[in-house]
Amino acid sequence: MSEMWINMGPQHPMTHGLWNLRVRIDGEVVLDVDPEMGYLHRGIEKISEDRHYNEVVTLMDRTCYVAGLAWEHLYILASEQALHITPPERAQYIRMTCEEFQRIGSHIMWYAAFVNDIGLMTPFLYGMRDRDLVLDLFQSFTGARMTYEYMRVGGVRNDLPPTFTDQARKVLDWLTDRFREYDQLCLGSSIFHKRCDHLGVLKANDCIAHGVTGPMLRSAGVKRDLRKDRPYARYDAVDFDVAVADGADVTARYLVRMEEMRQSIRILRQTVDWLEHHPGPVMAEHLPRWLGAPYAPVGREGYLLKRNYAKGVGFSAVEEPHGEAQAYVVNEGTEHPYRVKFRSPIFANLSAARQYLVGYRVADIPPIMGSVDPCIGEVDR
Amino acid sequence: MQPDDLTRVLAPKLGENLLGVEAFEGMAGRVRFRREAALDLFRAVRDDLSFAHLSMVGGIDWVDHREVFYVAWSDSARQYVLLSTDVPATDAHVETASAVWPSANWHERETWELVDITFDHHPDLRHLLTPDGYAFHPLLRSFKIHEPEELEVKTRHV
Amino acid sequence: MGGLTAAQAPPAPSPRNPTVDLQLSNELPMATQAAVPFIEIEALRAKEFIPASKEALTSLIAEQGQAKLIRPMFNWSGRNSLFPLHWGLACCAIEFAAAFGARWDAERFGVVARSSPRQADLMIVNGTVTWKVAHKLITLYEQMAEPKWVIAMGNCATGGGPFRTAYSVVPGVDKLVPVDVYIAGCPPRPEALLDGILKLEQLIRERKE
Repeated sequence: MSEMWINMGPQHPMTHGLWNLRVRIDGEVVLDVDPEMGYLHRGIEKISEDRHYNEVVTLMDRTCYVAGLAWEHLYILASEQALHITPPERAQYIRMTCEEFQRIGSHIMWYAAFVNDIGLMTPFLYGMRDRDLVLDLFQSFTGARMTYEYMRVGGVRNDLPPTFTDQARKVLDWLTDRFREYDQLCLGSSIFHKRCDHLGVLKANDCIAHGVTGPMLRSAGVKRDLRKDRPYARYDAVDFDVAVADGADVTARYLVRMEEMRQSIRILRQTVDWLEHHPGPVMAEHLPRWLGAPYAPVGREGYLLKRNYAKGVGFSAVEEPHGEAQAYVVNEGTEHPYRVKFRSPIFANLSAARQYLVGYRVADIPPIMGSVDPCIGEVDR
Repeated sequence: MQPDDLTRVLAPKLGENLLGVEAFEGMAGRVRFRREAALDLFRAVRDDLSFAHLSMVGGIDWVDHREVFYVAWSDSARQYVLLSTDVPATDAHVETASAVWPSANWHERETWELVDITFDHHPDLRHLLTPDGYAFHPLLRSFKIHEPEELEVKTRHV
Repeated sequence: MGGLTAAQAPPAPSPRNPTVDLQLSNELPMATQAAVPFIEIEALRAKEFIPASKEALTSLIAEQGQAKLIRPMFNWSGRNSLFPLHWGLACCAIEFAAAFGARWDAERFGVVARSSPRQADLMIVNGTVTWKVAHKLITLYEQMAEPKWVIAMGNCATGGGPFRTAYSVVPGVDKLVPVDVYIAGCPPRPEALLDGILKLEQLIRERKE
């Protein structure tokens, strides 16, 4: 049969975003793939050079729209290193709480979209139902469902409401039961196994050579998690396990993500307990005035102040729901970052697409790409 | 791993092309090198220092010159290392790292189109994020952010 | 036996009975005015709807002739089954998906996402439009069958949003395709999206042919 190139995207149910997977096929067999990115390139790194440090947080929510708080955390950690600011401990715990809830929210969104691709419709409805509970929790202290603008250089915008701990515990109890249900729906279904087992295999060596991180790397048996290996915030103070599987296929990635959500619940129970018993400030003291007060946006007059502030370079790495995200912030002594550079985990995971798609069938592409969990906002930035 | 450990391994291999190893908070160190020795350095960092995982390649435009930086991770040391080299703005090119770390491929394509730094012997240097034939390099400092109306004219006719 | 006789007796004509309304409106079947009886039909429950609409239509056709009824029928069925194109541009696509989830359930308004533009009659531009995707968006729009509508969901699609100054972003999708409804928000909540869809339904209902 003759070979041909077909486009899967930019408008295709498989893509989960705005990108184009060009596939060279012979009949049903995939011979070569060439992902075409950039359809959502919004120039976030360039706009950031024109914004104040706290204004870039607005863009971070939109960079990865299913894991906004994790990206805020990433950027804030790098900025604080560049600006030589240390946040108070309570703020760090709040950020951890945010990040772990965000991980659960992001993974549930992945579950809803991925299992829908395989052909099971119910998990989408279950997933969106439970994700809304997590978003309600975010809404109680940030006021928004998806774009939070919550973290600030030096802390977080506002403290958690007094009802937060009770609400959080209720949601965690509910989710613990639901995850059991999720597993029954998927792992008990022969359709799921027929469409996922032994597909999209990417072994550990290939993962490392191509920069693949996150659940994809851990599904290949590599026990790497920045929360354990290079603890940021206060991840050294909480107790959890790194989810690992050894199948390196789509099912293994499913298992890793489900286990990660359970571990997130474990972390959250610890951080919520800590937050209940340790009130305190959530913003660093003696911040330069142009960084703004904790409850107000940056003041207009703050824009005009010429400051004499130490230069610096900040680097941070965060275990985002999709993998290892990194930020590199250059502070040249002005109100704006001189250069902001982000490393998106999915950027690297998609660049290895040739390694885990070639040789499989066209019909295998949706489950394989679904297991990668692409979020194009952070790839194209 | 400390900056001294990096110097001890890298200095004999690179000689005068190693410009120095500085301390960097949260990292094993920041290695500054001359671009002539790029491939030697990449091989030494990957094979001798076991930084098998290249995470990020980026470029910074310092107006008078440009900087290329690489971030790599070692599973045994559980640390990152930052490698950086300066290239003149008029002749901005450096040897590709994708022969050593395949993951550099897309990062270098991105750096090439946004910061205008050419990577020699790159297997596939095409536009990644901007449309084919896009004539501008947005992350250069000389590329100013315009009002949308002006910009529309500028981007539409590429 | 009182109950039995009551059941056998013909039901008393109520003011909401569409048959009565349709018989009263003799000069209606021109497009703008004919909308009135069909609003009444919408208000019924499904089990009442089928016999009522059948009866109403039969009598109306007998009275007015088939040709005059086609446009109102077309309008009514079109606005109650808006099929949006299933594609996600950026952040708003997640809220778009949430609107189809368990809590908001957009399908109760007859809104069912279709993956092919040829089956869709509504394009919800749910996110930032870049110049790179602009001509693909126009192609998709042109592939949709007439009549078709566009909703600009969120600030990015409306006017560029927080990325308005970026070099790669189209400052508003109305530079590319005609937009019927704009929804503010970054991103708009699912309620806002549903409200926008209902606004579009109203727009179609009031449309002059």
